[in-house]
Amino acid sequence: MKKIFCIAIAALLLGITGCKKVLDVAPNNAIPFDMAFSTADYCLLSLNGVYDAAQSGPYTGGTERRGYPFGAANIEQGDARGEDVINLAAFFQITYQASYNATTANNVALWDNLYGMINKANVCIEGFKAAADKGIISAAVGSEYEAECRFLRALGHHEAVIHYARPYLDGNGNKDGIPYRDFAIVSPDAIARIQSTGRPPVSEVYEKILADLDFAETNLPATRSTAVLKTTRATKAAAIALKMRVKLHMGDWPGVIAEGNKLVPATVDPVNWTSVVSPIGNWALTNAVDGPFTSNSSTESIFSIKNDAQDAPSTNGGLAAMFGSASLGGRGLVAISPIIWNNTGWKCDDKRRSTLYVTGASNISTTNLSYFTNKYRDYTTRGDYAPQIRYAEVLLTLAEAEARQEGGVSARAVALLNTVRNRALQTPASEQYTVGDFASKVALVKAILLERRIEFLAEGKRWGDIHRTVLEPDYTTGGIPAKAVNGANGLSIYECGTAYTPGQAAIPYSDYKFIWPIPASEIINNPIIKQNPTY
Amino acid sequence: MRKLLALLAVWLCIGQLSAQTRTITGKVTSQDGSPIPNASIVIRGTSYGTTSNSDGSFTMNVPESARVLIVSAVGMASTEIVIGSRNVVTIALSTLNEQLQEVVVVGYGVQQKKAFTGSASKVDVKEFSNLIAPSVDKLLAGRATGVQVTNQSGLVNQPARIFIRGINSLSQGQGPLIVVDGIPVISGNLASTTNSNALGDINPADIENMEILKDGSATAIYGSRAAAGVILITTKKGDRGRTRVNYDGYVGFSNVLKKWDLLSGEEFVTIANEKLANAGLAPRANMDSLGTNTNWLDEALISNAFVQNHTLSLQGGNAKTTYYFSLNYTNQQGTVFSNKNRTYRVRMNLDHEVNKFIKFGNNLTLARQEDYDQNNGANSLGGAIAASLRLLPNVSPYRASHATGFNINHPTANSMAPGANTQSIDDNFFNIAFTLRHNKQYSDKYRLINNFYMELSPVNGLKIRSQASADMLNDYSLQSWDPRHGDGYSNGGYIYNSNQNFLRYVWQNYFNYNLKAGMHSFFLTGGHELQSTTTKWFSGSGVNIADLFFLKEGVISNTAATPSIGGNYTKAGFESLFGRFNYDFNNKYFFQATIRRDGLSSLAEARRYGSFPGFSVGWRPSEERFWQPLAPYINEAKLKASYATVGNVLTSANGFPYLTTFGPAPYGNISGVAINAIGTEALQWETSKKYDIGLELSLLKNRISVTADWFLNKLDNLVLEVPTPLSAGVPGNMIYQNIGTSENKGVEISVGATVINKKDFTWIVNANYSHVKSKVTGLYEVNGVPVEYIQNGNYNLIKVGEAYNIIHGYRYAGVNQANGNPMYYKADGTLVQQNFRTGASIGAFYEVNKDDGSLGASTAMGFADRVNLGQGVPVWFGAVSNTLTYKGFTLDFMFRYSGGNMIMNYTKQESLMNQSFQNNGKEILNRWTKPGDVTDVPRLYYGQGNNINQNSIATSRFVEKGDYLRLQNVALSYAVNSQALQKLTNGFVQQARVYVQGQNLHVWTSYSGADPDNISSGGVDQNVSPQIRTISFGLNVGF
Repeated sequence: MKKIFCIAIAALLLGITGCKKVLDVAPNNAIPFDMAFSTADYCLLSLNGVYDAAQSGPYTGGTERRGYPFGAANIEQGDARGEDVINLAAFFQITYQASYNATTANNVALWDNLYGMINKANVCIEGFKAAADKGIISAAVGSEYEAECRFLRALGHHEAVIHYARPYLDGNGNKDGIPYRDFAIVSPDAIARIQSTGRPPVSEVYEKILADLDFAETNLPATRSTAVLKTTRATKAAAIALKMRVKLHMGDWPGVIAEGNKLVPATVDPVNWTSVVSPIGNWALTNAVDGPFTSNSSTESIFSIKNDAQDAPSTNGGLAAMFGSASLGGRGLVAISPIIWNNTGWKCDDKRRSTLYVTGASNISTTNLSYFTNKYRDYTTRGDYAPQIRYAEVLLTLAEAEARQEGGVSARAVALLNTVRNRALQTPASEQYTVGDFASKVALVKAILLERRIEFLAEGKRWGDIHRTVLEPDYTTGGIPAKAVNGANGLSIYECGTAYTPGQAAIPYSDYKFIWPIPASEIINNPIIKQNPTY
Repeated sequence: MRKLLALLAVWLCIGQLSAQTRTITGKVTSQDGSPIPNASIVIRGTSYGTTSNSDGSFTMNVPESARVLIVSAVGMASTEIVIGSRNVVTIALSTLNEQLQEVVVVGYGVQQKKAFTGSASKVDVKEFSNLIAPSVDKLLAGRATGVQVTNQSGLVNQPARIFIRGINSLSQGQGPLIVVDGIPVISGNLASTTNSNALGDINPADIENMEILKDGSATAIYGSRAAAGVILITTKKGDRGRTRVNYDGYVGFSNVLKKWDLLSGEEFVTIANEKLANAGLAPRANMDSLGTNTNWLDEALISNAFVQNHTLSLQGGNAKTTYYFSLNYTNQQGTVFSNKNRTYRVRMNLDHEVNKFIKFGNNLTLARQEDYDQNNGANSLGGAIAASLRLLPNVSPYRASHATGFNINHPTANSMAPGANTQSIDDNFFNIAFTLRHNKQYSDKYRLINNFYMELSPVNGLKIRSQASADMLNDYSLQSWDPRHGDGYSNGGYIYNSNQNFLRYVWQNYFNYNLKAGMHSFFLTGGHELQSTTTKWFSGSGVNIADLFFLKEGVISNTAATPSIGGNYTKAGFESLFGRFNYDFNNKYFFQATIRRDGLSSLAEARRYGSFPGFSVGWRPSEERFWQPLAPYINEAKLKASYATVGNVLTSANGFPYLTTFGPAPYGNISGVAINAIGTEALQWETSKKYDIGLELSLLKNRISVTADWFLNKLDNLVLEVPTPLSAGVPGNMIYQNIGTSENKGVEISVGATVINKKDFTWIVNANYSHVKSKVTGLYEVNGVPVEYIQNGNYNLIKVGEAYNIIHGYRYAGVNQANGNPMYYKADGTLVQQNFRTGASIGAFYEVNKDDGSLGASTAMGFADRVNLGQGVPVWFGAVSNTLTYKGFTLDFMFRYSGGNMIMNYTKQESLMNQSFQNNGKEILNRWTKPGDVTDVPRLYYGQGNNINQNSIATSRFVEKGDYLRLQNVALSYAVNSQALQKLTNGFVQQARVYVQGQNLHVWTSYSGADPDNISSGGVDQNVSPQIRTISFGLNVGF
């Protein structure tokens, strides 16, 4: 009897002493915060994690990776907000038809993923500083990593400001901008801090973007050990090129030129386009028009977001899946619009037409064919990099600034325009533009703007150009331009040089839909952020 | 037979030669005097015994030392009688149903029902264990008050959703704790590629008893896991006496209860072309010369899906050892083409009494479940229902000229040929006739629950029990996609294999001590429990598969051009101390106090422990002298009240909501880590303060019983995923905080009555009614200002002052008769129309100028124009069941009802009323076509479905009442006269019963969707497979 009692009590005691082990468990699938900056290796892993945040985030609340903020979802919307593509399916229809509201998934997810990336950058910036202070990484490495984070932070904020705010030229930046986040938010206290800061004016956002990019330019390396790293991680040239883009939006032509001159030689030989090499980073156009797409890390790809077979967005977020013709293995959800295809400014024998575009079926219709881009080619594993900055953009941006700066027709602008365009011409020497081809400065700027639409078609750049030029009477689209009706209409609508009348009405700049709504959940949880009017 | 017994008696005598013996004869009857055959009569302290004959009589030789006989029989309370010097005894057993004998299974013990002061519902599983379902949860609806059980679809392997007394957490676990034979088991929908119900590993036929603990007093002993209630399942044990062998089998057929009415081919052509014409586009739809008219639902759903179930059980024992063994095979084909559950289950329950000090036993559950499923995605292009509602009815699924025989465009594109139409279906919904046959989703699960206990009885009234269990669940899952068409096309074929392994150890050491001193009775329970759960999984998958050949049964090495791996390992533990004290004065006044202290591994070390007390009191006025005059009418009355603070377990994506962590974040093939959770060090348990006041009455000599409860669950310190501004960039856009408050208040009433009780005819009615009102009372603050609501998905708000998950959207104002535009009310009451006429911006809002069709001032519908359109969770529910017996015939039928909720009919909004080149529901035929048309369906306009239907926003146009009455089941059985049967079969067959039954026979509802039960917890019906109706035929034979 006593024995039994003893056994029972022993069992109880054993149980109680065994408990420690049961409760003392720690995660195996995530490391504690402090460890993330505890060694040089962990610092690099954490930095890579910021790039990952730029690569392929999900729809809000979901897990499927759709390519926000700098993947397919973003690029396709950048195009679908404009008139140069046709949305065929339901996928980006809301964007295409501008029927979004404060809870529409696509614009909520972009905002969500942009700021998710920005906070990761900020968390790392503080982590790298602390690691450098402790001597875990050298001060130089710390600054370099910080520069990469600040580059991404600037890229992210600029993307947000052009979708959710009125352009800089509207009141010289005095309209409501978007929140600029420049400190790590890892606690409720930090959240309370942002909840007392409203939307800064657009001009302040631009100032902070430029400050970040100045820091990035100073601290980033000019080159990296491999072509892949040189393209997929920020370099000095990427910071400068992004600054050019940002200053273009501000209408700061001398600023663009000053930055551009760092990346473009003083004299260029437009017929010999590969001879135009950036003094920083040795960037140059590829010889062929499809060079930046046959190789993900071409000499022209200043900055792209990496995707590969091991880590790519889902089929609903892959560039090739969405843009690619069904005949080639894509889904064919976004086609090229006759608005650009039929544009008389785009020569019918331009090499880009035959090299970068194909006719094909969409998943929607095997009978109603359309033109699709084949810039993105990895249909099955979706490993196409998402191009962000190409050297061609540097050249055309500088060309535009030179053209606008000049009172008359800028010869340098014409040469720069030709450098990009000649690559696509059958006989560049005879077909290239001459200064005499342009009646005025306005005509030249228009030609450059058109060249941007052609060169960057299906690279998500269209919205940026619509947004920044909308208040310039000479160059404005008036607002969201008229577009082809959603859906496939067959090849008969495509005819080089024949005017095309779009069926979807334009939306004027004055309309509230010109800019996207701030997501409803932002307004609910951060009421100091004011919604864009009428949403 | 007699001879045989005589021989046995002789043999027994021989066995007892050394001792002096005497012969005892007797008869075992029920209280009304009818004989009880097969009763077991055993001499206490020995294994000597016999069983009664068909007339209840028995004869046995007993040693002179025998003092007490233990008599037991199935369904009767076991009785001990002192024989003294008697040689003839008559033993009247009382049935277990008699209230005074009833016990309530509670945590870590049992209590007399009369002394039980908590609130619990006993569910008599025997009433429905013959109904068809792979698991008991799917049969629970309507069986207990306060317990809302929803089968959310017709998929056979999807677990039911169970809310006990409302939704008891806003963002943490909302389902009850499930305890089988004292052990909290692994439960949930656990397979990785299919629906799969872990509770399906328990054969419903093996369940002896289910007790659903609802109030604080009853649940407090489960402390931090009790907020959402506790379901205690007790499996069958053996009886002393002869071995009884029982076979129970049934076969049946399932069909869809209700399908959607879709357009025919001809109607589709009209509607599709009208959509296009209104948008200024040329017609594209045409009928082909064959007049093809495909009902795609017929491709996704099958008729007369076959179901079968066979259980063989052995039950018996002697004075020392009792056992219950069972074997089961179930195969239930779902009504969706590839949906199926196949289960093999074995149970071995063994109890052995070594001597009066030591007793031990072991319960073993072995199960294998195979589940088959398909793409059920509500938005998936290959979703079985989502696609079949939209695929073009004038296009055939098949095409003889294609190598596969299906109408697909492989290898040129991932689409279907458009038939006579000039375009294929918009958005490229897949040919599901192909994908349902060629894609595979399969899960093969093995389950072992071994539960061993040893019980010591060192002194009278004290029992010390140590119980240890291991619960292992292994899931091998497969998903493969054919490269020729559908989801697998763009991948060049896809295969995914995973192995998940759950392992849970539980070790309990506790005691029960009873002490009776005069009119005072004390019951004490106390103990300690440890629980450790490990979850491991890994997966291998690949795309670009070498050949179709390698997509069949599992991943094959070196066949995927691009392979990838996945995996995880998590561990969590509990440690608990618990105690319960009951005091009972003279069976009249009762008091109970309970305490549980829980430690949880997912909380920070300093915050790990929480204490959860509970109290209750009870009074039986019917025991008082003053009650005497009432006693003939109300023979039993009890009043009770309870209060407890219990908790709710914290779950989070990484299992450690208090930690800020960095998780894997590769940048392409470059490894990386990134912040993936922001922890809250101070996080603590959610608390639920549960109040209950109850009344139990028995009237007219137990002919009518009534129980009624009022309850209030006040939830505090709710662990909210407090939304952070998106622009904070916090992972998951939330930080856990103990901050919200909410409450569920309600009443539960249940009435049971024996309406007729004649010798050959009885009629028993049970009715229950529950009303649960939930209200969110507080959320969090932003800069000191209380936040009024949290968005919960597209359609729901969690809003202060309102029920949980209200549906939030626009008020629809019908169709503008003059121009066919849909109209809405803004928040301020302004009537606006959304334009779908050329000449003004398509999809834009304008005010309505009377009804002349012109457009007024331009306006907009914003977030602020959305209003409360009703709550998504039913408010009231219950059932009425009837049992009628006439001689050998028994007729059972149950009606179940539910309502007070609204349903957001997403299926109609997005699928049935789409404005794409896709099929529609018949309702679209009511569309506005000309001025003066009075209808709710606006003018058609191709490509404007998102706008016309306000997709992803709730509107009152698609929000409908969810009230219904359902004929849940009807069963008619015939039991062959037992005596005749035994005579006929020389006693080998003791009993036989045949039955026919129908489940889910009809629903009366105004809801226009497939079924008002097809809803999420937010009340959204999203392209869910229809509920099924099953007719089955069964046979039960006992040997």
